[in-house]
Amino acid sequence: MSPRLTCRIISSMVMIGLALIAWSAWIPAKALLAQGLLAQAWQQTLLGEERVRPWPWADTWPVARLRTTDGKSLYVLAGASGASMSFGPGHVSTSAPPGAADNVALAGHRDTHFAFLEYLKPADVLTLETASTLTRYVVESAEIVHESRVDVLERTGRSELTLITCFPFDAVVPGGPLRFVVHAVFDR
Amino acid sequence: MRHFLSITSTLFLSLFVAASPVKASVLGERVTPDDIQTGGLLFQTEDGYRQAPTLGTDVEIDASGLIARTKVTQRFTNPTEGWVEGIYVFPLPEGSAVDSLRLRIGDRVIEGRVEERARAKATYQKAKREGRKAGLVEQERPNMFTTSIANLGPGETIEVVLTFQEELRYDAERFSLRFPLVVAPRHIPEAEDVQDLSGTGWSTNTNEVADASRITPLVSLPDQAPNKPAISHPVRMQVTLDMGFPLDVVESSSHSIKVNRGKGNTYSVGFTETSVPANADFALEWQPLVGDAPSAALFRQSWKEDDYLLMMVMPPRAQETNLPRLSRETIFVIDTSGSMGGESIRQARAAVSIALESLRPEDAFNVIEFNSVHRALFPTSRPASTEAVVQAQEWVERLQADGGTEMRSALEAALQVGSESRAVRQVIFVTDGAVGNESALISLIEERLDKSRLYTVGIGSAPNAHFMTKAAQFGRGTFTYIGRPEEVSEKMRELFSKIEQPVLHDLTIDWAGATVEAWPKRIPDVYREEPIMIAAKLPRSALAGHKEVLLRGRRGGETTEIRLSLSGGRQHDGISKLWARRKIAGLMDSIHEGAAMDKVSKEVADLGVLHQLVTRWSSLVAVDVTPTRPVDTELDRRSVQSLLPKGWDWRKIFGDVPPSPDRAGSKTNGTTPPPVPQAAIGQRMASAQIGRLPQGGTPSALLFLLGTSLLSAAATASTIHKRRS
Repeated sequence: MSPRLTCRIISSMVMIGLALIAWSAWIPAKALLAQGLLAQAWQQTLLGEERVRPWPWADTWPVARLRTTDGKSLYVLAGASGASMSFGPGHVSTSAPPGAADNVALAGHRDTHFAFLEYLKPADVLTLETASTLTRYVVESAEIVHESRVDVLERTGRSELTLITCFPFDAVVPGGPLRFVVHAVFDR
Repeated sequence: MRHFLSITSTLFLSLFVAASPVKASVLGERVTPDDIQTGGLLFQTEDGYRQAPTLGTDVEIDASGLIARTKVTQRFTNPTEGWVEGIYVFPLPEGSAVDSLRLRIGDRVIEGRVEERARAKATYQKAKREGRKAGLVEQERPNMFTTSIANLGPGETIEVVLTFQEELRYDAERFSLRFPLVVAPRHIPEAEDVQDLSGTGWSTNTNEVADASRITPLVSLPDQAPNKPAISHPVRMQVTLDMGFPLDVVESSSHSIKVNRGKGNTYSVGFTETSVPANADFALEWQPLVGDAPSAALFRQSWKEDDYLLMMVMPPRAQETNLPRLSRETIFVIDTSGSMGGESIRQARAAVSIALESLRPEDAFNVIEFNSVHRALFPTSRPASTEAVVQAQEWVERLQADGGTEMRSALEAALQVGSESRAVRQVIFVTDGAVGNESALISLIEERLDKSRLYTVGIGSAPNAHFMTKAAQFGRGTFTYIGRPEEVSEKMRELFSKIEQPVLHDLTIDWAGATVEAWPKRIPDVYREEPIMIAAKLPRSALAGHKEVLLRGRRGGETTEIRLSLSGGRQHDGISKLWARRKIAGLMDSIHEGAAMDKVSKEVADLGVLHQLVTRWSSLVAVDVTPTRPVDTELDRRSVQSLLPKGWDWRKIFGDVPPSPDRAGSKTNGTTPPPVPQAAIGQRMASAQIGRLPQGGTPSALLFLLGTSLLSAAATASTIHKRRS
């Protein structure tokens, strides 16, 4: 192999390596930036508009705002698809709508928005705000389940909040079969 | 060239290093039931959780009539020096009725009995505090049970015997049964999970764990680390077939078996090896001699004041093949609401497009899309001319997902019969079922269904399977779940080949005026070669004067009548339990139809206690009369503090649960498993939880690792390169 070719291979490896690192940094950056852009759309939502797209080509919109007691605030997007979850936690559309007195399920990425789930404790308070409701939930329990356990999304008829993220939190390769599920119940 | 090789191998090496932490934690791998090794009884000890050495599992299955009774005997030893409580979780076939628990410690035998759930729990807790040996079997989900054993002494061995009953499947002249060998308690397959758990930063306090029993299966065992040999879990299997007629074929697609013919028409089946590792479900099928396949059966049991019947009828099918294909009107309804965005709408479009191809010129059809409003391709159904179908395909291709989910008006439109009526009317409903007003929609279907049949097709990773199953049940159709894009065409073709055939529908039974409580309440339509099975309870005198009942149904516009003689029939145990199990299933369904939860729970609990069945509201509890643990010795659960976070209810973690149809395809001995009957798929799909929870991780860390690995590989390569030149 000519030295030239070797050089080229090495330099392209460097380029690709740098590109991958940049890409890896872009994912959390995007997650952070999007939440900023969503603030505007949320204000409009609060004023009574529906389905306010945060940017013109967005295929999702904020449906709720989730807050923790330590001041963390996240805009929840419609739909728990990969597309919406890169910008914020997504509302699982088959579960009850935010604000309903039933099981509301939200899903988020374990390494960005929902990384905090790992540190939640029982009795921690979470609030979920929609344009017309404000619901306080108290963290009750958590479990690790297989991805096939879609029954955690089922409507239970009782006011509760189910937060879902991938497990384990520090896995390198995404797409594993386990999910970390936090159950919080309506705080009377 | 050598340079290049060394570069690539460095690259691969670094890739491997990057990927290996995940590999090591195993959590990145998909777990299928076939992968899961059986677990065992887990004990909480001071230094963590330990698995009781399993001394073996014996499974005895007696199949006769249409019922299989299974006795599972497992022996465990407490390997610790303390008094412990052990818990395990195990799956059973859906619809199985657990009805007995027996604990044997040395010479002592403790029989369990079914009590109302809360009371059973209290009984168990009390026994546990008092130092008595106790066992508790609770139902977590229709196919998932947990067993808790309290106060097992140091080094003590306990034998746990569970008995359950299920209905045999009979399809296309073959009987079959499946035993989930992974039964034997399941939990996380590998031990490293413990590290992941303790790394999650939860604080600890056991006393506040409301239900510590739920936690155990989650935490796996340090001593099961891969460097130690996996705990062997040998299973001995003994199946007795006593069908009352000679058999032609007895075979297993999963294990190597030997079959011995005993007295009369009994057959005994066992593994060729004396015991096998429990890592694949056991599937057994048998077939009567050609021409001997039963076309009807009647089993009865007198229990308490009543008679219980189990009837099986094969609908006549001689003329079936001669029936011409009936022309049909097919309405496709496609959900284009926002929740269907992305992959889902593409799958839905593909599904409808494939379905459109199955239309013939004599058929009529229409396509309706709905989101916030609904919109139909044609004002009313049109004949399926080539032009119309092409037009429809183009129309469907352009559909985009956006907006809300106003399903009601779309359903109304789809169920509205227009001028182009045909002999058969089918509505194919493609959706993810993200709706809020489920019960209103179900009522609408029930009200307006008339001659139409509703087939739901679930799309997306976690469709609302519950709603779609119910919609199909009330729509007297079937529910098809398409989980992945590559399944679309196969699943749609399956659906169409099934609904092409004339269906036996509007089945009713004329009980000749007797007061009879039969389950299922509404007999489902019969596709292809499936038997009709009915369980009934009737007062002993009810049929005194009438010795036959009449089963009526319609097929292809003609009425079919089947006369069933009620004289004779074989006495058979377990029919009353089978009837109760079916009634419980019906009651559980009624919750979704709006029945009051407290009323249903009371009724189910009462049935459970009366018929001694474990249900969601009744549990099996067994308590030893004399305490064996000295009360001043603590029941060991301190260990929990080192592992379990404060107040958390770590609940079980299961492997892949549902008996999915594709598992029927797994085989070990090269024989082709018989095709899984479509109807069976439909039913099982209907009952199993399906779909997946949303995926919640980004590839950020992976990309970073790959990036840095590439850079370091480049650095290595350039060093080598410099040295060479």
